[in-house]
Amino acid sequence: MELVSCVHPSSTMPASLGVNALLWQDVLSQAVTGEMIAVLNYSSLAEICTGQEEVADALEHADSERGHAAAFAAEGAKRGIDVPSNVGAKYWKRLRAAFLRQIEARDFIGCLIIQEVMLESFAVASYKRIAQVAPGTMGTTFASIAIEEEDHIDHAMSILRAERALDPQRFDEKVYALHLEVMTTLAQMLARDDKDCNCELCPGGCVKPMLPNVGLTSSELRGASLQHYLRTLDALGLPGEMTLAWVAQLPV
Amino acid sequence: MPTDFALIGHQESWRAASDVLAVLRGPDHPPIPDEEVPEILPWIPPRAVCHIEVRSVLGATAHGLYIDSFIPPDRLDSCFLRENLGRVREAAAYASMEGAKIVSLGGFSSILIEGNLDRLFERTGTVFTTGNSLTVALIVQGMEKMCASQGRDLRLATLLIVGATGDVGSGAARCLAPRVKRVLLHARNPERLYKLAAELRLEGVIADVAPDLGHLPACADMVICAASLASPSLLLDGIAPGAIVCDAGYPKNLSPGSRGARVFSGGLGQVTAGMTFEPDIHRVLYHQPVPDVLHGCLLEGIALALEGRFEPFSQGRGLITAQRVQEIETIAARHGIHLAPSTCEKAIN
Repeated sequence: MELVSCVHPSSTMPASLGVNALLWQDVLSQAVTGEMIAVLNYSSLAEICTGQEEVADALEHADSERGHAAAFAAEGAKRGIDVPSNVGAKYWKRLRAAFLRQIEARDFIGCLIIQEVMLESFAVASYKRIAQVAPGTMGTTFASIAIEEEDHIDHAMSILRAERALDPQRFDEKVYALHLEVMTTLAQMLARDDKDCNCELCPGGCVKPMLPNVGLTSSELRGASLQHYLRTLDALGLPGEMTLAWVAQLPV
Repeated sequence: MPTDFALIGHQESWRAASDVLAVLRGPDHPPIPDEEVPEILPWIPPRAVCHIEVRSVLGATAHGLYIDSFIPPDRLDSCFLRENLGRVREAAAYASMEGAKIVSLGGFSSILIEGNLDRLFERTGTVFTTGNSLTVALIVQGMEKMCASQGRDLRLATLLIVGATGDVGSGAARCLAPRVKRVLLHARNPERLYKLAAELRLEGVIADVAPDLGHLPACADMVICAASLASPSLLLDGIAPGAIVCDAGYPKNLSPGSRGARVFSGGLGQVTAGMTFEPDIHRVLYHQPVPDVLHGCLLEGIALALEGRFEPFSQGRGLITAQRVQEIETIAARHGIHLAPSTCEKAIN
């Protein structure tokens, strides 16, 4: 999971990495943190799964996400960049809390909706955009992890489609309730100006204004992510005009 | 509820796009700042934005969807052709998946796809129409009404058609050229232009081609702009003083009263038995002094749905005939769909 946030402008960086080093450090930090949230979420999910196969699936996904986090951290290490992660940072903590509420309610479907539909939409879409501009092997890593994330959504999608077929209205109401919490948080993370710079992952100024230096914008990351989210909801069969109104009402 | 029809459109200005997003956000959320809209809109995949209920004067009701292709207003240009075609195709697929029996293509969607309708995603039971036949009917009605209100005799007029070889332009030429003294045809493609002129001459029409808007003979006292003008002043400098000008291009860019010309917006119709949009985006898209006004291309699908004629009435390019125009005009009128009153009464300076 990746979302761009903040980094302290005075962080010590290898001089050879230039002005964009701070930006890539933050991109990788957010990616590692997002992946670690996914590790925690899948591990929690394994605890409420009833079938052995489901438990094994969840643990396998947790392992896979751990591998992604390691791959992103390794990209930082290659460049001499320290890649901090903080699953207790403000927005990430909120996303994790939303997931844990579904765990407490032993709501397997709610968990899948948050992780596979919402968080993964943001991960896949933003990784793909970053892959296009990230230097060297970092780009390849983002691209290949985006593909892996996309691939493992298929199984969850078939479970969710089957669940919706049982009672579409109830399913859509559940998605909306989760959307209000999770997608609002994600939208706030990617809002163009985070004036308070309070993402708590990094102590300093926001790097979003630096994104154009590497051919990205926070608007682009946000737009691509919400587009991916809308298409995922389409694939589940939710009415397009309804989900458009949901997305249109998110904070900007 | 069955989906009788779907209308595919897009917004022609950022203002309109902002207004649509504001309606979707609802009254409890502040509007998206104007500067953010161009950052957001291009990412929205084509989809329905509202449901429409249309009523016929005969008592019938048709239900449909307005599907926005979300083509960004600053990308209505040939260099975005591939991207825009993709959006229109995706909107068409959406309409089919929603079970629409007939789909009308509005504005630029129609221009993009008029020669490629057979390449649209089609599911059994969904047909597509460009809607251009009813657009032509409403343009012709508008010209007739303007002539009558100005005390002009159509038979003595010299009619200039800009964009004459397009679907709407050639359809308007076939309907009106035989009724005027002389017709001047302008278009960018000389081959098609000469072909159309030859076709009209066979009908006894005095038809001349005017390939260069900068060198018009200055005698045109009736003008139909079926193509959007890159330079409106070039046209307005070259026509007769007080000429009646029907702005039927897309997007419309002639202002009422320009240089003494009597400009009006062509191709708009009114559903006299009324229609309802939910959510109500109609009020932000059509700033007309009368209610229930829509573009003719969209109304064609509605008229056919009310009639229960789910057929691809207008397809291809350059195939619109006077007979087909009369036929769709009769169908529309039967259900109370007529020329929008404001077309003639309010737009004249």
